[in-house]
Amino acid sequence: MDLLAHLEAYVATADEASFSRAADRLGIAQPLLSRRIKTLEEHFGGSLFDRSRRQITTTELGLLLLPYARDVLDRTQRLRRAARSARRSRVRAVGVPADCAPAALARAIRAGTERGITLGMRELPPAERTSGLADGSLQYALVRTAPEQGALRVPLGLASAPGQDGTGTGRPGTGRPGTAGRPLHLEELRPRRGRGAATAAPPPLLLLTEDELPSVEDRLLRSAARAGLPRGRIRPAGPAATALAETLAGSALLLCAEPFARRHGAHWRPLADRALHRGYDVRAAQVRTDASGVPGWLAALLASAVGAVADGHDGHGGPGGYGGPGGYGGQDGDGRPESATGGQDVPARLAARG
Amino acid sequence: MSGAAAYHPVYTGDDGALLDVAETVATEWAALGVRGSFLARNLGTGEQLGFGIDVPTPLASVVKVPLALVVLDLIAAGELDPALPVTVDPGTSSVGPTGLAAFRYPATVAVADLLQLMLSVSDNAAADALLDLVPVADVEARLRAWGCDGIRMRHRMNHLYECAAGAAGNDFSLALELAVRDERAGRHTIGTLDPAQANTGTAAALVDLLRRVWCDEIASPPATAELRRLMGLQVFTQRLSSELRADTLRWFGKTGTFLHLRHEIGVLEADSGDRVAMAALTRADRIAGVAADIDLAIGVAGREAFEALRCR
Repeated sequence: MDLLAHLEAYVATADEASFSRAADRLGIAQPLLSRRIKTLEEHFGGSLFDRSRRQITTTELGLLLLPYARDVLDRTQRLRRAARSARRSRVRAVGVPADCAPAALARAIRAGTERGITLGMRELPPAERTSGLADGSLQYALVRTAPEQGALRVPLGLASAPGQDGTGTGRPGTGRPGTAGRPLHLEELRPRRGRGAATAAPPPLLLLTEDELPSVEDRLLRSAARAGLPRGRIRPAGPAATALAETLAGSALLLCAEPFARRHGAHWRPLADRALHRGYDVRAAQVRTDASGVPGWLAALLASAVGAVADGHDGHGGPGGYGGPGGYGGQDGDGRPESATGGQDVPARLAARG
Repeated sequence: MSGAAAYHPVYTGDDGALLDVAETVATEWAALGVRGSFLARNLGTGEQLGFGIDVPTPLASVVKVPLALVVLDLIAAGELDPALPVTVDPGTSSVGPTGLAAFRYPATVAVADLLQLMLSVSDNAAADALLDLVPVADVEARLRAWGCDGIRMRHRMNHLYECAAGAAGNDFSLALELAVRDERAGRHTIGTLDPAQANTGTAAALVDLLRRVWCDEIASPPATAELRRLMGLQVFTQRLSSELRADTLRWFGKTGTFLHLRHEIGVLEADSGDRVAMAALTRADRIAGVAADIDLAIGVAGREAFEALRCR
């Protein structure tokens, strides 16, 4: 027996002195209300109402028990209210990548407060943001995806010492006017021979924790190999501060997003291949019953905090684009397929060559 | 040397930065005792940089590119059978270090495969075997009809050898010495080094030819497509492409080497979609058959030009 529902029927009937009005007040059918009263009377072992007259009246037992019944219902209501307010004041943990823009995170926290929600920002490596959503320790998180699949794309680029761009030309953006932020192709990082060839070893490319995911690293290493860079040039950055120091000193190149590089006064050029950029989705934990999806306001503010650009995931080369990922190459403007190294050359490429 | 100090090529470049790159290349070449022409043009934007682009220069094996286009055009028109067998006899064939020219016994090869040998390993015997089928005068007439001003076809490939041997006996060092001396003096003992008698071209004309081949604006699409494919098969990589070798880049080129001449023309296609046509035509002030530093300087020019001109 649902005692609370039965007590509600009892109290409403006593208040209204009518089965039909009580049923209306509770929004249930009258036969159901009558049945509940009857069950309760059997439970207490005595009549609660006198039904012999036209107007029903509450019996002596009914009057005696009424304050207790009201008390149970009141306390239930207070219990529910306390639970609701506890739920409201609970901190909702949001998993974010390292080096988000603090001002944008602050806007998200304030926007939550205005909506009666307390957000707690947790700076975590990508794998822990995903696992945090699964084990319930995070309510929301910016989860890494492939850039062509994620709702958000953050251009990844190479930070270098001010006045250098890491390609060894000594001319940022190859020195051409208006090309300082020109996209960088990995093959430009191959060491130069001939005049002015660097005597020192070419600077390593440092990978921040945010990009040390197997899938991300895999893709980058493949592209770097195809662009003619040896495996050893790509290394984990370790702590961001020392990696940045090496970068500013000109002895390393740091793979990072533009706001991070700018904040520390480094020169920065985006990677031309958008397939190597960072992709993100804002996701909510699945297990919570009160959290169906991510509120739009939160998703928008987290996108700005992580430095996402507006174009979504049109991965390859629309107007103003940087050109496509490796596999899409060889098509030119008028759609002519690549003219050589086509299918007929494949067997020859596998044969022994002088 | 006073000559080097007085060297002032005419520069080409669409903006100051591109002119800077052109000047850097010319200066680097001059430091090695190299003069000549260089032109690189982005086929998408039309932007270009270079110097000496209208100087007619003896082409050596670079002329095999227009020759191949004429032959491929005849094949595409059905006037020449690509399967036609041609027998090349070392007793009578042209001199050269590679391909059929280096064979010791007669071989029978189809026309289409002669083209492949001519462009992949710069086979002189294959080139002259094609010129037996399509005479020099016909090639020249077709180039005139196509409006390839600045490219002249005047003789067979073996004529290069015959002139050098005629002037210097079979002494390569002497021929080289003559070539370098004549270059300084401005006269021509070896006829195939005289722009008035040789197969010649200018960097501007050669880059324009490449542009028309890559944009299907010359001959017929089957002919230009096959020429692009064959140029992608070249085995020599020590010059323009030497600093542009990666899986993300594809080079379609043709070298030309004769005595003190070191040339290459070609197109670089990048995965990013950028396409840049280039021509490097050089004359060295050095009595050396192998000059790795000059080849490398040409490669450095190719890379600097490509990186300055690529836009995406």
